[in-house]
Amino acid sequence: MKKIYFLSFCFLILLKVGYSQQTTVQTISVNFQQATIEQFVTELEAKTGYHFYYEPAKFDSLKITVQLDNKSMETVLDAAFKNTAFHYAISTNHEVFLTKGREIQLSLAAGFFGIKTGAETQKNNVVTQVKEFADTKDKVVPEATTENKLYEIGTKTNTIGAGNATLSGYVRDGKSGEAVVGASIYVTNTKTGVASDQFGYFTLSLPKGRQILSVRGLGMRDTRRQIVLYSDGKMIIEMKEQVTSLKEVKISAEKVANVRNVQLGVNRLDIKSIKQVPTVFGEADVLRVVLTLPGVQSVGEATTGFNVRGGSADQNLILMNDATIYNPSHFFGFFSSFNPDIVKDIELYKSSIPEKFGGRLSSVLDVTNREGNKKKFTGSAGIGLITSRLNVEGPIFKDRTSFSFGGRTTYSDWLLKLLPEAYKHSQASFYDLNLDISHQIDDKNNIYVSTYLSKDKFKLNSDTSYGYSNRNANIKWKHNFNDKLFSVIGAGIDRYQYNIASFDNPVNAYKLNFDINQTNFKADFTYYLNRKNTVNFGLSSIFYKLHPGNYQPNNPKSLVAPDVIPTQRALESALYVGDKYDFTEDFSVSGGVRYSLYSFLGPQTVYNYAPNLPKTSSNLLDSTNYSSGKFIKTYSGPEIRLSGRYQLGDNTSLKGGYNTLRQYIHLLSNTTAIAPTDVWQLSDPNIKPQYGDQVSLGIYRNLKSNTIETSVEVYYKRLRDYLDYRSGANLVLNHHIENDVLATQGKAYGIEFLIKKTTGKANGWISYTYSRTFLRQTDPNEGELINSGLYYPANFDKPHDFNFIGNYRFSHRFSISLNVTYSTGRPITLPVAKYEYGGSERVYYSDRNQYRIPDYFRSDFSMNIEGNHKVHQLTHNSFTIGVYNLTGRQNAYSTYFTEQSGVISGYKLSIFAKPIPFINYNIRF
Amino acid sequence: MIENKYIWFFILLGCVITGCRKPYTPPAIVAPGSYLVVEGVINSGADSTIITLSKTVNLSQNPSSALVSGAQVHVEAEGGASYPLAEFNTGRYVAVSLNLDNSKKYRLHIKAIGNEYVSDYVAVKPTPPIDSIGYKITSKGLQINSNTHDPSNNTRYYRWAYEETWRFHSQFNSGLIVRDGKIVYRNNDEMIYYCYAGDRSSNIVLASSAKLRQDVISDNPIILIPPTSEKLEIRYSILLKQYALTKEEYAFWENMRKNTEQLGSIFDPQPSEINGNIHNVTNPAEPVIGYVSVTNVQTKRIFISNSVFPYEWRPEYNGSCQIDSAFFTNLHTGSNDVENRIIEGTLIPISTISPDGFHIIGYTASSVECTDCRVRGRIEAPVFWK
Repeated sequence: MKKIYFLSFCFLILLKVGYSQQTTVQTISVNFQQATIEQFVTELEAKTGYHFYYEPAKFDSLKITVQLDNKSMETVLDAAFKNTAFHYAISTNHEVFLTKGREIQLSLAAGFFGIKTGAETQKNNVVTQVKEFADTKDKVVPEATTENKLYEIGTKTNTIGAGNATLSGYVRDGKSGEAVVGASIYVTNTKTGVASDQFGYFTLSLPKGRQILSVRGLGMRDTRRQIVLYSDGKMIIEMKEQVTSLKEVKISAEKVANVRNVQLGVNRLDIKSIKQVPTVFGEADVLRVVLTLPGVQSVGEATTGFNVRGGSADQNLILMNDATIYNPSHFFGFFSSFNPDIVKDIELYKSSIPEKFGGRLSSVLDVTNREGNKKKFTGSAGIGLITSRLNVEGPIFKDRTSFSFGGRTTYSDWLLKLLPEAYKHSQASFYDLNLDISHQIDDKNNIYVSTYLSKDKFKLNSDTSYGYSNRNANIKWKHNFNDKLFSVIGAGIDRYQYNIASFDNPVNAYKLNFDINQTNFKADFTYYLNRKNTVNFGLSSIFYKLHPGNYQPNNPKSLVAPDVIPTQRALESALYVGDKYDFTEDFSVSGGVRYSLYSFLGPQTVYNYAPNLPKTSSNLLDSTNYSSGKFIKTYSGPEIRLSGRYQLGDNTSLKGGYNTLRQYIHLLSNTTAIAPTDVWQLSDPNIKPQYGDQVSLGIYRNLKSNTIETSVEVYYKRLRDYLDYRSGANLVLNHHIENDVLATQGKAYGIEFLIKKTTGKANGWISYTYSRTFLRQTDPNEGELINSGLYYPANFDKPHDFNFIGNYRFSHRFSISLNVTYSTGRPITLPVAKYEYGGSERVYYSDRNQYRIPDYFRSDFSMNIEGNHKVHQLTHNSFTIGVYNLTGRQNAYSTYFTEQSGVISGYKLSIFAKPIPFINYNIRF
Repeated sequence: MIENKYIWFFILLGCVITGCRKPYTPPAIVAPGSYLVVEGVINSGADSTIITLSKTVNLSQNPSSALVSGAQVHVEAEGGASYPLAEFNTGRYVAVSLNLDNSKKYRLHIKAIGNEYVSDYVAVKPTPPIDSIGYKITSKGLQINSNTHDPSNNTRYYRWAYEETWRFHSQFNSGLIVRDGKIVYRNNDEMIYYCYAGDRSSNIVLASSAKLRQDVISDNPIILIPPTSEKLEIRYSILLKQYALTKEEYAFWENMRKNTEQLGSIFDPQPSEINGNIHNVTNPAEPVIGYVSVTNVQTKRIFISNSVFPYEWRPEYNGSCQIDSAFFTNLHTGSNDVENRIIEGTLIPISTISPDGFHIIGYTASSVECTDCRVRGRIEAPVFWK
């Protein structure tokens, strides 16, 4: 810091040296008794017209007592600073420089810097000289930790030039040193802002001079920083965690992201809000909370998938630290794959999907894990009824390298043994492990390694056992070329596999394996062109290798004939570029193009069908063999990502967006809920990629000093070549899958309302969605027409959907949460008639999805009890106690008709049909 | 407290794994029409071909089918012969011993209710004989299995139906009978303790060897009889009928089974209809339910006696069955219970009450349901019983 001041003195000197040497002697009378430097200077300036330059902090111990009449300035100053460490120097321009310990010599040789005289040229030269003189390489990037201090950025000059400078920096948690992702840095004067990227970095172009930055991060206390921007420079912003035990939550006027962001249809939640929502077994669950957001639905309880704005469950790209998770659930869908102790925050893109993402039609769920604590070892553990988890993190090399490890497992088997004989032989278990390492090479280079392994096994009282597993590993290198250009280059492998095995009957004993592997490479660049333009560009490439089914005997006696569906290979690549451009302060547009290129690769045997006829075995002409590496079929096209924001006053904005997307991988499932054993299929010459586009419009308004965020969004979406299935389709081990699938068209539209209160003792959100989703199949060339080619509601078409999440904090240690959900029952196909066949009554089913199950209603309640809040204790404890499905309503999951002794009757299946109490004990250390 | 916890776990996991089933009454749905249902197999062998014609009814309606009588039904060979079927019962049409040519294709031709229906021509698909009917005694009960194979590896798809017969007894053995207003000992031909009962399969049993190297069906489960079933009380017999199916017919039955026999789990497939191979020629848009195939039916019967079952296997009797005592002079009321409740009433006398072994002071007795096996069966042994 000293150095800066010293340098600034030098600049001042430089600027002033060339002025004329004219001197007039002026006398003054002063009378100071124990005066502070401010009083002293103020009075002298008023009396003389001299200008004083000094550093107040250095003079705060000085008390001046001087009484003089009609003396010169020199005399007065001599008297005042006599026997002190303070010195003065007076320039010919009536400028007084006060220093401590060191005297300033004003008599520099005129040619010292090789400067000619003349005010104008001199000034220009000075600026260039200063850059040489102030070697920024050695300069420490200021760590801006407090709000009230004025931080100087760039190389200080005494006059602040016009124009913009680039401020780049890093936002981190002051306690753990971890990056704060998605913190919004908003410049109050210019009403511009940016968000920190996934590594905590940001770059902002703003006018030079004094600026106030409002900084807001999820789970962090809102803060601001005062800066004086002289030239391009860097700063580190340290934020403090929002500690819930604070009695008063500061209400700040800076929560503007809702209104300010150019993107629409984006929901961001941090783990704290996720943890407050009660869940069935008491363990915080990312996916359950996602389901309470407007525009997100599911077909029912215990389902793996979620449906975003009328999209099917396989149209969501689920990323955990950039790794694609194919099956985001455990234990029949009752738990999500994400360990709540590891997750930092989630972001769901429903409408404005950034151009760097692609490959799925409906949404991107981006789950970010916490970086390990770089300063000390910490950990947490939780014990629940069915699961336990442990998380440890800490530095490997202090302040540079950290790790974060999380594990979770279940011990439900002993519970299953308590069940009656009929279910006693069931088994179900899972575990998952996360290990993330982050390493800072230097302030320009960071490396992040992220790995994930999950495994599920279950056996439902039959001789068939099931298992599935996600395996992911990736490495990312983040590099800052300079203040304006950043890159993230990453590579990784993702794998999902399942197996089914049957043992009991030796003749039929089999095992069936399925797996999908993808190797991906990504390079993403962000370039802050200038204040108005932020350019994002890059490329990504995924190589798929999919084994759609390998059926083998499981016993030497087994007669099972091995059946292997040939391996599918494909390469999906994309090049993208996008620009966020601010036309004016009020009008910003973000536009991007993603050119996506997909090739289905050999070796493969492709079946050829007669053109313009249904793809059935009777129309099969012949087959073509392609050799290894051959590009069998290529699909390509541009995807458009466009969104804009127009500001209507400080608290309101209007946003619009248009998106197109393509999807080349399809999940084949004709069950209502996605089963862990469903098959994925790559687009090939017979199965076209899915295509979707969406137009959306929203109005955003913040109320009550930005503590209440409201939004209304409308959307209309079209889907093409979405796969539906022929009646009685066989999707497993099918060598001619194209015979059993139908390409359908879809349309979805809806309106979403969200009111969110983010701070205060009472906080939470209310969302209501009215939405419809329809599918139809009109092409008679596809063969069978579902519902005569008319539009029919999709399985997850639930027009009315209402969610309430509320938390109330009574004291530092006690809070309650309530969650209320209501939605229209999902569509079902009901029988319209009955008849006798095969010795029993049978039912004849109607057209698809023409009826609905009863409406869904559920309320959950939980209490969080924290142990004492003494900072220095070994562990911090907390309890979560609650009841899931408080009213015990028997919500129908599905209905079905089954015969018993020749008579058919209807049943409805309910899951969690009783109030389910839960308790969870958590410790932090 | 701990007890309570277990209850919660039980409820919870019970619901998680099997789901909580509750009866469901769908909204009143009126079908857009009533469709013809054709059930039966054209028997290419010496046995009779029986075709049943009915129409679908609304869900709420009883009885659950409307039989169609007065139809003209023929089995037709491709490019030739036609064999008429005669209605022998309402809606049931029969032709005896068609003995068809296995190299030809056949179809069903129906004229009924002003419409004309035909099935697709299908080739004769011979059914291989049943190798054996096996059984396993497990903790869940008696599991009956079937075994078969086709050395030519052509059959691949199978369906089974069965007829069960079992000997059982009523709960109490009545040795007395009321004859001419008096209680006397039963004659041997008047005994009502042992009876025979029977049932037909109502579930669809299918299996396929399509995924096996050889066309072998090994220990395919047919029926599971719980240990508490009356069927296993004395002696049990099952007549198994085996049908060969084409791949398409297998898909038809499989779909029907999924639609009407699935047990309601989280991952059940959604119901959908598969059309059979019968079409309405007059009104092609109208669906016709049923699949007609041509095969010879193979049958086999086995008997299983209770001596092979574990000792603990006991039928669960109707819990309301109790033995009453009826006295000539009721100790409390003084009334003649024998006269009022047995001779004039509905109770069946079981044995005499004679404290001194000489004087009869009354009779033990019970209800008809508890003493007369004929309520649930027949005294006469079926012809095949041995």
